[in-house]
Amino acid sequence: MSTDSMNEEGGPTTTEITVTVNGTQVTADVEPRLKLSDFLRYHCDLRGVRVGCEHGVCGACTVEQDGASIKSCLSYAVQADGAKIETVEGLTNDDGSLHPIQEAFHESHALQCGFCTSGFVMATKELLEENPSPTREEIETGLEDNICRCTGYQNIYKAVESAAAKMEDD
Amino acid sequence: MSTSRSTEAEGAAHSADGTDEESESFTGQGLPRVEDHRILTGEAEYIHDITPENCLHMALVRSMHAHAEITDIDTSEAEAHPDCELVLTAEDVKADYNPMPTGITEVHTDEGTGTITEWSLADDRARFVGEPVVAVVASNRYAAEDVADLVNVTYESLDPVTDGMTAREDETIVHDSAGTNIVDSEHLTFGDVDEAFADADQVVEGEYFWGRISGVPLETAGVVAQYDADTDSFDIDCNIQLHTLVDDTIYDTLGYDPDDVRVSVPPDVGGSYGTKIAIHRYCCLAAMASQKLDRPVKFEEDRIENLQGGDMHCSERNYKMRLAVDDDGTMRGLDVWFVDDFGAYPRYPVNQVLKPLSVVTNSYDLQNVSYEYELALTNKTSQTAYRGFGVDPHIYALEMVVDKAARELDIDPTEFRRRNLIDESDMPYTLATNNIYDSGNYAATLDRIEEIIEDERDGGYLDPEIVEEKRAEGKYRGVQPSVIIEPGVSGSDWTDRQRSDRDALADRDREDVTELPEHLRARVESDGTVTAFLATDSSGQGHQTLVSQLLADELSLLPSDIEVDYLNSADAPTEYGSAASRMAVMLSGATVGVADELKASVESTAAAHWGVDSEDVVYREGHVERIETGEWLSLGDISAIESERDGSPTQVSYDYEHPATAFEEFDDAFVEKLPVYPTAAFGANAPIVEVDINTGEVDILVFHTVRDCGTMLNPMIVEGQAHGGIAQGIGAALMEEFGYDEDGQPQAITLFDYLLPSIKNIPHIEMEHTETPSPFTVTGAKGVGEGGMIDAPASIATSINAALDPLDVDEPADRIPVSPAHLRKRLRTLEE
Repeated sequence: MSTDSMNEEGGPTTTEITVTVNGTQVTADVEPRLKLSDFLRYHCDLRGVRVGCEHGVCGACTVEQDGASIKSCLSYAVQADGAKIETVEGLTNDDGSLHPIQEAFHESHALQCGFCTSGFVMATKELLEENPSPTREEIETGLEDNICRCTGYQNIYKAVESAAAKMEDD
Repeated sequence: MSTSRSTEAEGAAHSADGTDEESESFTGQGLPRVEDHRILTGEAEYIHDITPENCLHMALVRSMHAHAEITDIDTSEAEAHPDCELVLTAEDVKADYNPMPTGITEVHTDEGTGTITEWSLADDRARFVGEPVVAVVASNRYAAEDVADLVNVTYESLDPVTDGMTAREDETIVHDSAGTNIVDSEHLTFGDVDEAFADADQVVEGEYFWGRISGVPLETAGVVAQYDADTDSFDIDCNIQLHTLVDDTIYDTLGYDPDDVRVSVPPDVGGSYGTKIAIHRYCCLAAMASQKLDRPVKFEEDRIENLQGGDMHCSERNYKMRLAVDDDGTMRGLDVWFVDDFGAYPRYPVNQVLKPLSVVTNSYDLQNVSYEYELALTNKTSQTAYRGFGVDPHIYALEMVVDKAARELDIDPTEFRRRNLIDESDMPYTLATNNIYDSGNYAATLDRIEEIIEDERDGGYLDPEIVEEKRAEGKYRGVQPSVIIEPGVSGSDWTDRQRSDRDALADRDREDVTELPEHLRARVESDGTVTAFLATDSSGQGHQTLVSQLLADELSLLPSDIEVDYLNSADAPTEYGSAASRMAVMLSGATVGVADELKASVESTAAAHWGVDSEDVVYREGHVERIETGEWLSLGDISAIESERDGSPTQVSYDYEHPATAFEEFDDAFVEKLPVYPTAAFGANAPIVEVDINTGEVDILVFHTVRDCGTMLNPMIVEGQAHGGIAQGIGAALMEEFGYDEDGQPQAITLFDYLLPSIKNIPHIEMEHTETPSPFTVTGAKGVGEGGMIDAPASIATSINAALDPLDVDEPADRIPVSPAHLRKRLRTLEE
């Protein structure tokens, strides 16, 4: 996992990057090996980005980069230089009220331990942006890259359908 | 959408996703959870999110050999790395600390008594791939991994023993000091087994294998340890499960008193399902490093570490089952033999080989039982607990041999089961093993699931025409239900049976039995709200919601007036905690008790304030009223009065005794140290399976289930538990397995190899509920946390047998998971 790259002083080589995270511009010197997920969690203090496998299967670290959902454990912070990133923290309204997707997950009991939830909410956001009223099959395809170990997915279907209805009303 | 119905025999139905409109109480309603908001906004603080200032990070060097002598550890290069803060080896650990407690303290062989010693780091021998050998600490995890790469360990590899059946031959011994790989065994008999087998018309035999699986929570293990030199004590944050019960594995290893090792579990844990009970090694190592460095040290397990050596695999069993039956379809006797491959060290969950005794004959009226197990050590990662705690393989093996017996007797498998079901009129029913089923109409549940299957035969998935058409394509459909019991609310006294003198058990009295109660505290805040303190940890079950719901009802407050917090291991008494389908019952009993204490306390304070007797005041709707005058004091007023008087607000605690202790019926089981599980939730599943004989793939078209867990305290949470348990059961039945090759190399070390079910793999679950209250619990609730994991694999396996019944394949689902490769192998013999 480690790539031991040193600069002339014996310290790690770093690169300056600028990323717009939830609407705020962040500039930082980072090691090229720093994963985007770790950059968001530790440099930007966005702990809602969860890390479950670090090999792109579980989807807990799903965020949006320039409008498309990505698994942030599979990409490096330097690759996000100049990009716009949105995380689950960016969904909550300024008055603290929940986004319709968050509301729907709560009302439908679509989370238990909650560790996968940020990823599912972000994947749902992309799904509903592309397809405002998905069928069950389309939900299945839209969310197949995220794993939930607690809910058995039954209530996640309900939450997505409920969120779709709420967003249509808005 | 779920529907909810009640059978004639049962009580009222609840809507699982809505409110019970006739009820005025919060209990019984599907109240949305108080835990959700912080999780949904990203604010929840899981263990991975806790990083104190000045914190260092640990990484581990792990053995790549299944079995090897460690002949040299060269740490010089690692120590020379500029970011290296500390390198720990077994030598350092042995100099200052103790071995970690094991689940089996003495191993008895013909040659004498042996022992097993497990250090936090491998000593002179590595015993499984992934076993930690060296711990290193650096400024961050990336640097720590750089340092770990520079450690040079020299191994001389040894022959490994990689399965339980081979381990019995003792050609390679995992622990020389034990003298054998079979470190525990017992043969228990109940009733007249010999007579039953000799006298029965037929004896049906079957051999079954349950592969190594586990819960694999999305959140891996993590710990932050801080040593405090001033008080010579430790603060340890960890997502360990049962932190007040298993904290001895940490403080004993460190060599400190329980009060000097404060273990706290974050309110949010990203799933555990039993698997985080035995992650104490990480706590010990981080604490040792913190003590040496006098700085906080954090360890966050990565997924590969978790899967290959995270101390979290569960049961791997070879079963030999025998069922004695008469030609008229009467079950006469059951003989269970199995070996459980426990991996390299026998850890706490050794008693999961015994838990099946609590449901040994499942839903069948059968009193002659032989039960024998052998607990084998091998060169694999050690076993821990997983949802079901060893009952799931037992139920699977039992239902398989029941299925086989029906076919050999040429009786319809459902009819064979029906003839042997425990009758409702025999409730409460005492099993051969002295555990007791509390209540339930099993026949009605079987009838209902059969009705559902009949509906499927009439234009549904099992419509004969469609079944025929599909068969022409090589797709075989079928279903085979049974009624399956979920034992709930484990007692604690029996759990150390294997560390007790079993010969001396016959001389025990009821007074020798010590059960752990459930502890709960409550404090009245100055604003009149109430804070409850749980002595157990949670990992997604919604305990905060449940307690706020129940306490609001008891105190006539709103759930929003109740905060629920957690106690650390030093402040809380030792208790069992969140496992064994306990919390709905234990927490509800404790909540009712603590509310009574709280009402008595505020009444007494108010009476003293007014200078009247306690009888002259009454608690009503969140305040205390002076009956004669109608004056009243709010909870906030009373707490302020108490604060002024005693310097602290109103605070009470309550210990809810284990419910079985109140019923003499359980005395025999208690005294004999046999598993005591006073609630028996039950259900019947009808997964309609479709087996593609060309690919060996199994598709579950719909999963019907009819379930009963007594009174539902929060139907929404009950359904969530059932959905999740069934999903894990589907994963176990069809997809998941920690395979090993003959060299002991683990074959599933990423989530590409260990296949967790995604939304594509889980079918629609169509669920109905009945509610038969338990006569043994305060609220009538039964334990509900493990059901789906216990019953789904057995139901899927028997349904696969049913689907392939038209072909001449004997018991195609004779191993779990029933992977496509396995089915193809079984079907290939047909083609040859």
